[in-house]
Amino acid sequence: MSCSPFDLRDYLFGELAETDRRQVDQHVRSCSHCHEDLERLRLTHSTLLVLRDEEVPQRIGFVSDQVFEPSPVRRAWRAFWGSTARLAFASAAMLSVALVTFAFFRPAAAVPAPASDTAKIEQQVSARVATAVEKAVAESEARQARKTAELLAAAEQRFDKQRAADMENVAQSISVLQKRYNVREIQLARLEEPK
Amino acid sequence: MIFRAVEDADLIGKARQGEVEAYNLLISRWEKRVYNYLLRIVGEREEALDLSQDVFLKAYQNLRKLDDPARFAPWLFRIAHNEAFSAFRKRRPEGELPDPAQFPGDDIPSGGPAAFPIELSIAVTTALGKLNPEQREAVILKIYQGFKFEEMAAILDCPVSTVKSRLYTALDVLKTQLAPLKSRGVT
Repeated sequence: MSCSPFDLRDYLFGELAETDRRQVDQHVRSCSHCHEDLERLRLTHSTLLVLRDEEVPQRIGFVSDQVFEPSPVRRAWRAFWGSTARLAFASAAMLSVALVTFAFFRPAAAVPAPASDTAKIEQQVSARVATAVEKAVAESEARQARKTAELLAAAEQRFDKQRAADMENVAQSISVLQKRYNVREIQLARLEEPK
Repeated sequence: MIFRAVEDADLIGKARQGEVEAYNLLISRWEKRVYNYLLRIVGEREEALDLSQDVFLKAYQNLRKLDDPARFAPWLFRIAHNEAFSAFRKRRPEGELPDPAQFPGDDIPSGGPAAFPIELSIAVTTALGKLNPEQREAVILKIYQGFKFEEMAAILDCPVSTVKSRLYTALDVLKTQLAPLKSRGVT
């Protein structure tokens, strides 16, 4: 049984840390039993290494064939890039990138309201529009009626003035005619009087 | 060492993109280690070569699943381990140990003149044949492939304590098996 601080086999196979290795080195120098154990292990080890590696009788190598591709996906991928679809795919890819970029940088569109809200809003808007139209029509009609009344009043006033003026003119004409008639009567009377 | 790791990672990256030549270069760096690992497990050159090809094909097809290219070696040997033991299961009934006769050589002779290298190789192969597959694999991964215990645990999908237990038990067997060679001048 070895009295080494660490397993001599671990030491032989280089599995010890440097500090542990140094401890075994020191121990083996002072302990003949462990020294002998270690020598036996080294002898067995060196005897085993007499068996040399053989050369490979035939070199191993693969030709560039699709069957040796790493995976079916990889094979399909390479087959695709070797095909005429490459240009079309590249174009489609560029277009996709452009669309995605545009979509990414475009201002966000207003989020459409739910259908029920839309109907409600439309109803409210229709009601408000109808009210506003009614009010506008009423105001317009009132404005029109007022204007018409004013025009009628002005026209009546003008008509009355004109009629008054006309009546005055007629009266004056009648008066003139009466006077002329009187003058003629007087003249006739004077002519018929005996001289 | 770091430079080598970076280069492997670069080759793995290119191979992931479908560059077969980059992967072939990666294979050329690792094929000898994988082949010898498999050879020492299955004991037949032809089968070891077939399995090596399967290992590298599976590795290529699953290269994208490798999370850390710096861990390529344990990952590759994990595939090799699975392939080897899958072949064992196909070849032998459940639980039966591989035939030690596959590992050529008679019992190690004791005494006599110093052993020739070929005799030593046979003796070592025979001694390895005395181990069970798990112990033998632990010895192969540690002594011949130089993996750390942590990497071995990843390859074998078991705790480090299990790895150490298998390895140290194997070492005890090997020490006994190879003891006769000591007296014949092995250094």
